[in-house]
Amino acid sequence: MTQGLTVLGLESSCDDTAAAIVRQTPGVHAEILSSVIFGQTDLHAAFGGVVPELAARAHAEKLDICVKQALDDSGLTFADLDAIAVTAGPGLIGGVMSGVMCAKGISAATGLPLIGVNHLAGHALTPRLTDGVAFPYLMLLVSGGHCQYLLVRGQDDFTRLGGTIDDAPGEAFDKTARLLGLQQPGGPSVEAEALMGDPNAIRFPRPLLDRPDCNMSFSGLKTALLRARDQIVAEKAGLTRQDRANLCAGFQQAVVDVLAEKTRRALRIYMEIGPSDPVVAVAGGVAANQAIRSALLTVCAEAGATFVAPPLKLCTDNAAMIAYAGLERFRTGVQDDLTLTARPRWPLDQHSPSLIGSGRKGAKA
Amino acid sequence: MTDTPLILAFDTSAAYCAAALMLGDQLLETRAEDMTRGQAERLMPLMEELLQDHAKTWSDLDAIGVGVGPGNFTGIRIAVSAARGLALGLGAPAYGVSGFDARAEAVRCPGLASVPAPRDQVYLRDAAGETALMPLEQAKATAAQAGLALLPQPTPQDLAAAIGRVALSRWPKIPEAPAPLYLRAADAAPSSDTPPVLLDP
Repeated sequence: MTQGLTVLGLESSCDDTAAAIVRQTPGVHAEILSSVIFGQTDLHAAFGGVVPELAARAHAEKLDICVKQALDDSGLTFADLDAIAVTAGPGLIGGVMSGVMCAKGISAATGLPLIGVNHLAGHALTPRLTDGVAFPYLMLLVSGGHCQYLLVRGQDDFTRLGGTIDDAPGEAFDKTARLLGLQQPGGPSVEAEALMGDPNAIRFPRPLLDRPDCNMSFSGLKTALLRARDQIVAEKAGLTRQDRANLCAGFQQAVVDVLAEKTRRALRIYMEIGPSDPVVAVAGGVAANQAIRSALLTVCAEAGATFVAPPLKLCTDNAAMIAYAGLERFRTGVQDDLTLTARPRWPLDQHSPSLIGSGRKGAKA
Repeated sequence: MTDTPLILAFDTSAAYCAAALMLGDQLLETRAEDMTRGQAERLMPLMEELLQDHAKTWSDLDAIGVGVGPGNFTGIRIAVSAARGLALGLGAPAYGVSGFDARAEAVRCPGLASVPAPRDQVYLRDAAGETALMPLEQAKATAAQAGLALLPQPTPQDLAAAIGRVALSRWPKIPEAPAPLYLRAADAAPSSDTPPVLLDP
């Protein structure tokens, strides 16, 4: 297939309902013709996290409206499209299923080919969408639900070098915000507080740095933060603003140090395969954190690798990445039919042993 | 505009996939398959087979009728999401039909419509049109007080056909997009983390 392709993408695996249209002519950078995101932050605010049933309810009544707007924004109709890509997992199953069913309806009605996309592949291929990065590259996917290092050799060739064995960092940021009475989502509010704090005032652990691999753990940081907070509260019957800022700064520094060191290790593995133009890319909402970004930039500079961080709106959940990943899949001749299954669990790397959730239902991601 | 629209009606609000194909008020066929899981995989192929067996394609459809519940939350989202996608892709109206309206149409005799729910409960629509989830015995008593009985439960096939007839009765009016009728709030508890007191607020 050598002609230009125009693909519609749908995303509904967590708390953002999104639709986007991406076009690519071979040899030319892909172009995002429209990208619509309906967030659900207000819907979940009172609950301190995403409530799956609330998310599913919102997705079911917004997906088609989102698609309509993506078409209108691009000035295109279904007749101008070549395929429909939809997130088919992993994620909150109610939302994923709504997206898959809406996409099936559109595909049946229009005759457009249907392509099920792994949400994580969407994130992992984003550096190609934004910067035209060539394979192989090292990807750090770091968000509210995921944290893993991926060696990306092809649109369907991912090797996980390591990842979290429990929580994702974004989840730890959210929990920190809740424990300190800061606004959700926790990432931006904890980062803002940390700027006013002393990262060395309160010592946090650096989990799993004593192990030589690229695996991480962030669950213990939440407990450490709770203990440190309660200790201060026990002494003073409350927190000062400075205490709160110091807690945020200490917590964030621990996350930064762990990610920097594990990235150094992942980079060593990646450099062994001898990439001609080494690239480390990040994606996921946590990649928006400036302290983490600058630490990764330093690690990359030390190793002589280029650091690629897509714009924030393409780091967090969006449908342009789904359209693009679908486009790359479609180019290889892959296409699904109306039996496409929505999957709550769907590891990108099917070969490496699973790190979390490896129960009866298989690895989570 | 045709007087005899081709209407596809479907429902996955309980443990089945049911679909009916109608040409105007003529029922071409209605079919249903029992399943406790896998509706999201089966629904569209089942309907495609139904269309093919009557020498029709998706693009021949003039309107969609969809059962919006109440019922299994995931099930009603499967049908509603598919209906909204089809409506958008076809540029055709999708009519959302409640389980109460569908049952009243399917049975067509005096009585109160009720939709089975887990643990010996039903969603009841009382004589005043109010809806609520309650034990089956209480629903029967409510009906008896109004001098009525509960309507018998139709088969999934009859239910799909009734959804088609209700859709036809509304055609070609431009409807609001179908939305799930949950009748029960989502299970969600506010965060239990209580932030500490700020000493220098």
